Amino acid sequence: MITTTLLLFPIAIVVGVMGAILGLGGGIFIVPVLTLLFKVPMRTAVAASTVSIIATSTGAAVAYLNDRLTNIRVAIWLEMATATGAMTGALVAGYLNQRFLFILFGILLGYSGYNMLKTRGKERTRAVVPDRVSRRLRLGGSYFDQSLDRQVDYQVTHSIPGLVIMYFSGAAAGLMGIGAGIFKVPAMDQVMGLPFKASTATSNFMIGVTAASGAVVYFARGDVQPLIAGPVVLGVLLGAVIGARLMVRMKATTVRRMFIPLILYTAVVMIYKGVAR
Amino acid sequence: MSQEIQEPTKVLAIERILARVLRLGSIIAGVLLAAGIGAMLFTGAAFPRQLITAGLITLLLTPVLRVVVAAVVFCKERDWLFALFCLVVLCSLVAGVKLGLVG
Repeated sequence: MITTTLLLFPIAIVVGVMGAILGLGGGIFIVPVLTLLFKVPMRTAVAASTVSIIATSTGAAVAYLNDRLTNIRVAIWLEMATATGAMTGALVAGYLNQRFLFILFGILLGYSGYNMLKTRGKERTRAVVPDRVSRRLRLGGSYFDQSLDRQVDYQVTHSIPGLVIMYFSGAAAGLMGIGAGIFKVPAMDQVMGLPFKASTATSNFMIGVTAASGAVVYFARGDVQPLIAGPVVLGVLLGAVIGARLMVRMKATTVRRMFIPLILYTAVVMIYKGVAR
Repeated sequence: MSQEIQEPTKVLAIERILARVLRLGSIIAGVLLAAGIGAMLFTGAAFPRQLITAGLITLLLTPVLRVVVAAVVFCKERDWLFALFCLVVLCSLVAGVKLGLVG
């Protein structure tokens, strides 16, 4: 038991650092580490991973809020969709062909990964024209970028398509138990036109709320094992605090370069799950 | 013009408040978890288990509390639309829990 705790802890810290920087929950790493390396049952692993998503989100948010990287208005606008999406996803999970879903979402991820790969390096100062909803809700934002040493002002567009994508992103998380943040970042970056760092910080802020209702359910069912979840969550929490401090100083291009292999890896894992099942 | 000057301070205020809520939540959860795990490693008794559980529950409630606090801030600012959005999020969270427990 003690060795498990001592081994789990540093792995969890690394996952927390990466999750905080990239705006992801890290379930794609935690679940296989727990099930394959530590022979933890699947349900226990998913429950621990869900609580650790909240740890990533909460631990990182403080630094991002202080630098105003998190766009709270965008987050709350989109949380409506992810929360209702997660709810419907869990509701219809039994009626849909999981295999097909994994392949479909895997291909979608692969495609957005390919798009990111194409546009890497040019952290464009895009002239984003806000749509009517964005102007009405005042979704545009502004943050101080420590790596550029200047204020970055930006506008937000495609507010409704963004909301629709977030609904499906929430549904995917509810259906498959993965994909908490990996769909949110490209949706904000590529569709809604947020700067990349604002996208990962805002995704980070949102994933905690989306995971909360699932975590309550796992708790009530007794799937959250304190001795497994405890060390994982504490490690991820510490990692997230460190990761967020690192990210605010990083260049947007660096964060994007780190994100691309991860999105492509997730795409491959999902397609593999769909095919091999 | 006056609106443009007011805006950044308003946004800053809500960010400060939410940052405080989240910091408090993570510190309490972190201390409880660390105490529980530390005690577990040295004693192996049942009590640390409860400490860890308390830490996990604290962490779990933090994002929910964050939505509630955001709703209150938006109400104070008379930003009724965003207060309503927060309410929608809260309702779907509750509904998600209920559906999850039934299913």
